[in-house]
Formats: sequence, structure tokens, C-alpha cells
Amino acid sequence: MTTESLLQQAESLLATMSRGSTRPETNRLDVVIESSGLVPAVSALKNARWGYLTALTGLDLGVEAGVVEALYHFCSDAAVTTLRVRLPRIGGSVPSIYQLIPAVGFYERELAEMYGVTVTGMPDDSRLFLPDDWPVGVYPLLKDFDPQSAQPVKVPPPPRGSSTGERFIIPIGPQHPALKEPGHFEFTVDGEIVTAARMRLGYVHRGIEKAVEQRNWIQSLYLLERVCGICSHTHSVAYCLGVEQLAQVEVPPRAQAIRELIAGLERIHSHLLWLGVAAHEAGFDTLFMYSWRDRETVMDLLETVSGNRVNYSANILGGVKIDITAEFAEAIRRGIDYLEERSRHYLDIVTTDTMFLQRTRGIGAMTREQAEHFGVLGPLARASGILRDVRVEAPYGAYTRFPISAVTAQAGDLEARFVVRLKELFVTCNAIRTILDNLPPGELAVKVPRRIPAGETISRVEAPRGELFYFIRSTGGDKPDRVKVRTPSLCNWTSVLHQAIGCQLADVPLLLAGMDPCFSCNDR
Amino acid sequence: MTFTDFSPLLTILFFPGGLFLMGVGLLYEWLDHKLVARLQNRIGPRWFQPFADVVKLLAKEEIVPAIVNPYLFVGLPLVGLAGALTAALYVPLMGLPPAFNFPGDLIVTLYLLSLLTLSLGLAGWNTSSRFSLIGATRALTQLFAYEAPFLLALLGPALVARSWQVSEIVSRNAGQWLIVTQPIGFVVALIGLMGKLELPPFDAPEAETEIVAGALTEYSGRGLALFHLGKAVELVVGLTLVAALYLGGIGNPLEFALKTLGLLIIMAGFQSVLTRLRIDQTVGLWWRYGALLVLLQWVIWIVWKGLSL
Repeated sequence: MTTESLLQQAESLLATMSRGSTRPETNRLDVVIESSGLVPAVSALKNARWGYLTALTGLDLGVEAGVVEALYHFCSDAAVTTLRVRLPRIGGSVPSIYQLIPAVGFYERELAEMYGVTVTGMPDDSRLFLPDDWPVGVYPLLKDFDPQSAQPVKVPPPPRGSSTGERFIIPIGPQHPALKEPGHFEFTVDGEIVTAARMRLGYVHRGIEKAVEQRNWIQSLYLLERVCGICSHTHSVAYCLGVEQLAQVEVPPRAQAIRELIAGLERIHSHLLWLGVAAHEAGFDTLFMYSWRDRETVMDLLETVSGNRVNYSANILGGVKIDITAEFAEAIRRGIDYLEERSRHYLDIVTTDTMFLQRTRGIGAMTREQAEHFGVLGPLARASGILRDVRVEAPYGAYTRFPISAVTAQAGDLEARFVVRLKELFVTCNAIRTILDNLPPGELAVKVPRRIPAGETISRVEAPRGELFYFIRSTGGDKPDRVKVRTPSLCNWTSVLHQAIGCQLADVPLLLAGMDPCFSCNDR
Repeated sequence: MTFTDFSPLLTILFFPGGLFLMGVGLLYEWLDHKLVARLQNRIGPRWFQPFADVVKLLAKEEIVPAIVNPYLFVGLPLVGLAGALTAALYVPLMGLPPAFNFPGDLIVTLYLLSLLTLSLGLAGWNTSSRFSLIGATRALTQLFAYEAPFLLALLGPALVARSWQVSEIVSRNAGQWLIVTQPIGFVVALIGLMGKLELPPFDAPEAETEIVAGALTEYSGRGLALFHLGKAVELVVGLTLVAALYLGGIGNPLEFALKTLGLLIIMAGFQSVLTRLRIDQTVGLWWRYGALLVLLQWVIWIVWKGLSL
């Protein structure tokens, strides 16, 4: 179905709830609804199987307007439908749609604690990102937030012993050898079987979304690149694409190709890193050491090309600032050939090693229906047979010229997730070769004005972990009015926490690693 | 009282028991770490790393958690190490004849070796940290899994020699490489030893990605160092036992070194190519395959013996 017909379908589905609709961009439909119309509207989209909920953005229109908006973004291929619920700035309330779409749980908690919107009927309304000693009634993403008002308050220590009763809870994190990253999980176990799972984030929340509002468009680029230490390039691409759409500038084809090339190298880096971590969680340290040794090859390539190993800083608004010379191209070809050969070897290991398969085959299997229900993204969805890849569904940048084919598997278990990610390495290697062979000549960048015209835009790109979603709003000034970042890890938690229940405790670390969680992305 | 009366004391305190044995144990531990590291494409530690670890730990403060039984907490590492050191007296360490022997000492040796695992389990239970508790449960579960097949595997050579005394088994089977006639027993014994030492793939009781350090999570300083030493001693004693029973006995220090190091290389190989087993998989492996295969080996041997008579 074309984007146009998808949007018309959505418009007719939402006609009864609609209080006015607009088409801000060719692939977008904005429908204003009352908060009472939210549940019927979401049900209508869900029952018609119109796309999936990709993000929930909170938007403060300012003290004068007195309005906070909750934007529910649904995607189907390239089409994006946004349900705009207008709420009073103080005391606004929306019903929870957790019963319809479980993945919304984390987004609703974020909306509630960042904007003070009451979400009625949330199954878990405890804090997700804000610290426990954050004062009640202070909402950091509101425009009139005063940092002075956020003085830590005294919180009573958590009750000891008696309140947990007979349950035996294994705490993992924020400091734990299994989890080098700051998240906290509580697994209730009965012997070796997990019977309940909870998690808490926010230990390193940096408030980047708020900080971006105080910086100009160019400074924000560098800040947003630092959301993640692994997929930093993807973040800057998502932001650049959005700003370039708002400024209506056309990026030269050579710059677009170089962006895809670096995204490819970054994907290889990310997947090899993940392979090592996952093998370590399974207790197969040899694979961990080997894959991380090989990962150095791609790190060196990125360093050769950009000068940096982690935040490559390749993008500028309107293009890129590094060029791929013939010499670099040759180095990349050599490196890719070696990595492809190694990846074939690793694929062979993870699909044939009997001992390793005991830990992955059939473990944590998620059917296609479950995956759709939990709204998972990226390799996790593709391992369950859902073709969910922005590069294919809604190609952006150079992906129209150098398309990639999505890799899917059917089993949905841990083994399938290994297979999908490793096969993606081959696809990526081939794409990089094609780009190097057909690198378009021309300029590297065009000029982008310092003030970006007023407007709202959505940019979606495929990060190594799944769809990365940016909502960018400009009021015509030299600073963004709002940048919403929804990272793929945040979507996938819900499914994994559900799957952990009933599993052996020994399988939990591998199950968590199987979704490739990025805590840095969660705690923007 | 004559001067020679001191010799048993020297045997126990310095050579080949006691200090010397601990030194050899740490050296073997280093070799194991180094071999695994090289197989994993890493550089690995320098030769004195295990010694440095023990010295450092002994010099550090030992933190005794508030809710533990302090006597058990302090005493259990001693019991474990003592068990391993005592076991060493009944095996032909360094190719020397065992320091002590009596009929049936093979069984005693095996149970002295298990004392370390039992102490570990009790220590984990005593500290009552959640990770320790799960680690202790797993350590004891694993003990019940490998103990019987391991024992059965070591009784194979005893059957051949018609004696349950280590020194007699060694002297009667001298020159007979039982690995050829009882290959299954040898494999089960070697893998059983890996289970006993909680080496990968049998490291579920101390799986760092799930339960930190298992039963020893709350241990620090002296207690940790003693458990560590106990493991190192058990490594040497276990290797000596398997080499003496299955690899044609140990007659001199050179033979000892070659045979035990050969076994260590095989173990390092297993450690680096195998994935950690879940505890249920470990139990399944031992009872479904280990025990049955050893029994099969016994049946074959008995039938063959009966036919040849």
C-alpha cells in the first residue's frame, strides 16, 4: 500500500474521534483528539492492524498557551499518524493504553514524571528515570522548570525484610558483574525459576532532551551524538535528517552515501560487540575474546576514516565533514573482507556448537504474535519473523540509492537473534562494497541556515538495535524547541521482562543480552 | 626421641606436603590461566600472579558480615584447605611414594577432597547473602551430580588392581596405561575433576554473570585466600590421582610433571571451547551420561574378566 493510501485509511479509521486533522508533511497525518477519545482511537488503529505505536512525545507549548500535548506516534511503513491529545498544563490527565499496547508502559511513566500528566490506570506508576529523592510536583521537561526547585528531598529508606515476605529476590545492578551498565533489576526466584521481574532506570539520566533546548542547532548535534557510545552516528544522522527536512535543504548524494557507509561500519562494530557480550553472558568466553579482537579491525577503520573510535563526528548539518579517499576505500575493503570471513566462522559456531546451542536454542522464544503485541523493534522483531527495518520500510538518505535487504528468521529464540545479527553483517559488508564502488562525486555539504524555519518533523532511522525515533520542533529560532529521542532499547524492555518470567535464572543474563540493551540510550 | 622423628613433620609442613604443595598448586593454577588465555587469544598473567594474589589477600582486612556465625565463617576455609592438604598425603605427589597409606585410603582421599566443596557450600549458606545462597545450593547440587560418577571412574583402576589402596593400585598397575583399556573411565574422571574444581563449563556455582562469585561472594582477605589455596592444592592432588591411576603410574618427578601437565593441557582445551552449563544441564549430564557410561565400562570389564578366566 502506498503512503498516501495508508494515511487515508488512518484518517477514515479515526474520523469519529477526530477534532480536526492536518497533513504537516507528505508522509504524516496529525489528528487532534480528546483524551476521552484516546482509547477508542488506539483500539481502532490496533484492530485494523494499522502499524505500531512507535513513540509517545510530551510537548509543552509554553506558559502563555497553557497547553501540554501528548503525541502518540503510529508508524506503518513510511506513513506516520500522530494522535495529538491537548491537555491543560496543570492537572492534565490521559487514560493509560497499556492494556492495548504493553510497550507504552515505559513511555507513559516517562510522560507522567517529566510533564506532570496524570496517566490513569497505569499498572506501575513508580519512578522510572527521576531519582527517588526528586521532589514531588516538579516536572523537568516543562518550559518553566526551575532547576533550583529540584532540591533533593529526604526519602525514607526502603522497608527491610518483612515487606518482601517469603519471596526471594535476586537484585541485579546498578552495580553487578553481570551488568556493567547502570540499570537495576529485581528478579523474584523460586529455586532457579524466575517468577517476577522489575526494572528501574535513570541512574545516569543526563537530561539531554532538556539540555538541547538551551543550545543552538549546531551545538545540539554534538550533544545528541553523545546519547549513545555505540550508535552515536545513527543519533546524529537522525537529528541531521530532521533538521534538514525542516530547513528544506537537499544533502549532496556523496554526503548521503558516506553517511550510510559509516552507519554500516558502526553496525558491524555494534553487532560484533554484542556477539562478544552475549557469548560472555552464556559463559563462552573464548568467543567473547575472539569477536572483540576482530572488532578492533572495524574500530581501527572508523578511526582511520574519522579520527575517532567512538563518537565519529562525521556529520554536520547539511552533509558530512569527512571524505572517503581512494586510500581509505582500499583500507575499508580489506578490513571488510577479513571481517566477513570471521563472521562466517562465528555464524558457523553459533549454529553448530552443541554446548552453545543448549543455551540458546528454544530459549526465550517469542512468536510473531507476541513480538507484535509487545511492539519489539530491530533484530529482536526480525528474529521473530517481522520485517521491521526502517531502511527497508521507509528508506531515508542513501538507502534509496543503495538499498539493503532485511534479514529475518522465524524461530524467535536466542539462536535466531544470533543468526539475524550475524547475517546482517554480511548484508552490511555487501552494502559497504557497493557504496565504495559507486561513490557519487560532488560536494560534501551544503549550507544550512542558523535559524531553522518553524515546524515539526519526525525522523526515523534504523540503529543497530532497531528503529531510532526523533521528533524535532522548531519555533523559528536558533535553538530547537523540543527534541524527543526514543531509543530502540526502551521499546524492547517490555517484551524481555515478560519473557524472563518462567525462565531459569541462569538464562536471564543471556535473555537480557539477547535484546542488546543500551542503558546509555535509555538514560538520555 | 631421635632426630629422625621430625621427618613426618617436615613431610607435612614443607615437602612434599604443606608449603611446597601450595607453591606447586599456585604454579599449576597459573599454567591453567595462561593456557586458557593463550587459547583465547589473550596474553594471560605472569607466572607470579597467583602468588601475588594470595599474598595480597592475606595482607588485607577480612570483613566478617554482621549476621554470620563468626566461628563457621573463619573456620570453614581452614577445614577446606586442611582437607585438600590431608588428601595430598595419600597420593604419589612428585612421583614419590605416598607419605601415608592404609587399605582403603583411595576412598578417604576422595572424601577429603570433597571436604573443600562441602566447606564452600556451608560457607555460602552461612553468609546468607542471596548470591552466596544460590551459589552454595548450586555447589552442593553439583557435588551430588559429579561425586558418584567420579568415584566410580576412579574405582575402575582399583578393580583392576584388586585393591583400594592408592599406593598398591599404582604399584600393581605400574606400566599399564589404563586409559587404553578404560577410556570411558578416564574421560569421566578427568571431567569429574573439572566439575570438582568448578572449572568451565561446570562453573555455574560461581557464574559471575548471574550470581557474582557464588558462595564466596562475601569472603575477603584471609578466608578468600585460604579457599583459593585449597582449590589450587585440589587441582594438583586431583591431577596426580588421575595421572597415577590412568596414565600408568608416576615413578619420578619428571613423569609426574609430564603426565599432570598433559592432563592440564587437555583441561585447558575443554575450558576454552565449552560453554557454561546450566546447573540442571550439569546434573543431567552426569547422571544421564557420566554415571551410566562408567557403569557400562565396569560391566564390559567384568564380562571380559569373566570370559578370560
